[in-house]
Amino acid sequence: MSESQTLKLMSNDNVEIPVDRDVACRSILIKNMMDDIGEQAMTEAIPIPNVNEAVLNKVIEWCVHHKGDPPAANDDDADSRKKTTDIDEWDQKFMQVDQEMLFEIILAANYLDIKALLDVGCKTVANMIKGKSPEEIRKTFNIQNDFTPEEEDQIRRENEWAEDR
Amino acid sequence: LRSLVEMCDNHSLSFLHQIISPRLKKDPFKALPPEMCYKILEFIDDPKTFVRASQVSRRWREILSDDQAWKKLCEKHAYRRMSTDSIGSSLTTSASASQILYGQHLRSASPSRIPDNMSAIDENPEGVPVSPRTTLTTSSSRRNKKAKPKSTHRSHFKQRYLVESAWRKGGQVTPKHITPDQGVVTSLHLTRKYIVVALDNAKIHVFNTKGDHQTTLQGHVMGVWAMVPWDDILVSGGCDRDVRVWNMVTGTSVHTMRGHTSTVRCLKMSNANTAISGSRDTTLRVWDLTTGLCTNVLMGHQASVRCLEIHGDLVVSGSYDTTAKIWSISTGQCLRTLQGHFSQIYAIAFDGQRIATGSLDTSVRIWNPQDGSCLAILQGHTSLVGQLQMRGNTLVTGGSDGSVRVWSLLSNQPIHRLAAHDNSVTSLQFDDARIVSGGSDGRVKIWDTNTGALIRELIQPAEAVWRVAFESERCVVMASRGRRTIMEVWDFTPPAE
Repeated sequence: MSESQTLKLMSNDNVEIPVDRDVACRSILIKNMMDDIGEQAMTEAIPIPNVNEAVLNKVIEWCVHHKGDPPAANDDDADSRKKTTDIDEWDQKFMQVDQEMLFEIILAANYLDIKALLDVGCKTVANMIKGKSPEEIRKTFNIQNDFTPEEEDQIRRENEWAEDR
Repeated sequence: LRSLVEMCDNHSLSFLHQIISPRLKKDPFKALPPEMCYKILEFIDDPKTFVRASQVSRRWREILSDDQAWKKLCEKHAYRRMSTDSIGSSLTTSASASQILYGQHLRSASPSRIPDNMSAIDENPEGVPVSPRTTLTTSSSRRNKKAKPKSTHRSHFKQRYLVESAWRKGGQVTPKHITPDQGVVTSLHLTRKYIVVALDNAKIHVFNTKGDHQTTLQGHVMGVWAMVPWDDILVSGGCDRDVRVWNMVTGTSVHTMRGHTSTVRCLKMSNANTAISGSRDTTLRVWDLTTGLCTNVLMGHQASVRCLEIHGDLVVSGSYDTTAKIWSISTGQCLRTLQGHFSQIYAIAFDGQRIATGSLDTSVRIWNPQDGSCLAILQGHTSLVGQLQMRGNTLVTGGSDGSVRVWSLLSNQPIHRLAAHDNSVTSLQFDDARIVSGGSDGRVKIWDTNTGALIRELIQPAEAVWRVAFESERCVVMASRGRRTIMEVWDFTPPAE
């Protein structure tokens, strides 16, 4: 098999998107599918029922850029130390999308089983939360405060311990 | 519309973005399924963010109160604070910290010697929340928490977090003057029940863990230089050559064991009935505490036996004759002689895998107990290495040069060099989180074991610090201040709710 084999993905809004095989195989879901059904997959478009064209294009864009990445080290312990901060510059730019798109990318990455993209997506959301006050978080995501003042007060008291360090 | 958007260049897109984005804001914890929400939380390791997020809305509170998220946070903080050997058992943080303490004092402690509350935690490696009952220590403020209905990772995290915070900048101190006159503290032990202090004025004081005086063990006629507690039993020795066995509950002397012909300089116990002493008379003696009789005399050193350490049936002794020897406790046979130091050995550590010795020749040597070979010579101290502690693959040493050094026993290389004290390091203890050092400059310093950074100075500077000892939520400092011997008991237990 040559490296430049192309296959087609079919978004849930019925758009066929051609994509290099090795790019598509960043998705463990697609990779497993390829392994299962083999060459047949090359002739027919693979339906991706949970992802629309726009999101699928975004995901493919990410996969193309990260085509050459070494396979993720499966060392969760070492990972977890660094997990919080580092998103590389390209990914940061890539993730500068509206929240709807961001969450859909996360869902798509989860569905397609692209761990690194899922991580970047979740990190991006985490970074939007970190260091913010409850009110700032509400603003960030346009969330209604649905606590009663009494509840709010009680919750604040319950959580005071972490504030003073 | 889509094609319209796709026609836009980046500039227009970002303009559009500015207009549209407020309308596109969306609650991630509503948009995403719970697994994804937890995944997001995995990338947050700051509890402040956690508690703030839980104040956002009911939905957020629901997600944030899920114990799974707190469990991850526990693990993450444990990773940060614990060395690699304890990964995966975050709940043992306090247990392992304490175990090394007890382990250090009762080096070869059998599992049954480990206090019940700790083994309970230990037997729980799955990370299942431990019930409050099992995690309780003897301190009363924690006992109050028995009333709490459930123990969760959240409450566990909070507990640990508050203890850690207290270590960093809080803690309650109780100072006690323990002698009317000036007495040099020769030995300090912190156990589950007691704080035991031996002095060069022949007295041994027993306090409870809060620092309240319980009893004074009187009988030695000169300075007490070595002691070892085991539950309610204390074995002590000193200049009067006697090895004494005490009951710390009643304050009475159980045995006076004679045999040494010079000062007893070091003492350890291998089980509840066996003590081993090392003396300036060049011998080690094995004592049966039930009968009060000497069962073996280990002869072979050419000079004073300064330090010893036990693991299983083996005892290793460090001597002023510059050698260390490995002995079988049961047979009394000398199995190996470790030769290499050029000067007196003052400190020894032995965990069954390796032996570490610190010497007046300024070096530290690592030995293989199996074949007696010298595995490494750790150089860097510029004076006597009198303090040593080994834990996992980490060795921490303190010297008369005032420096504290952290070494990797995997590479036998220094990890941190801490300019700790202006004068000798008189006392040293560490666990995965911190190193506590005391010096004859009168200061007690707490260091981050992993980074080597100074966290704080614990006490108001004294004239000299004789001894320090700590466990997960307490630290005891013996120092000289105003020409009096004082004890400071630091408590880092969070206040009861």
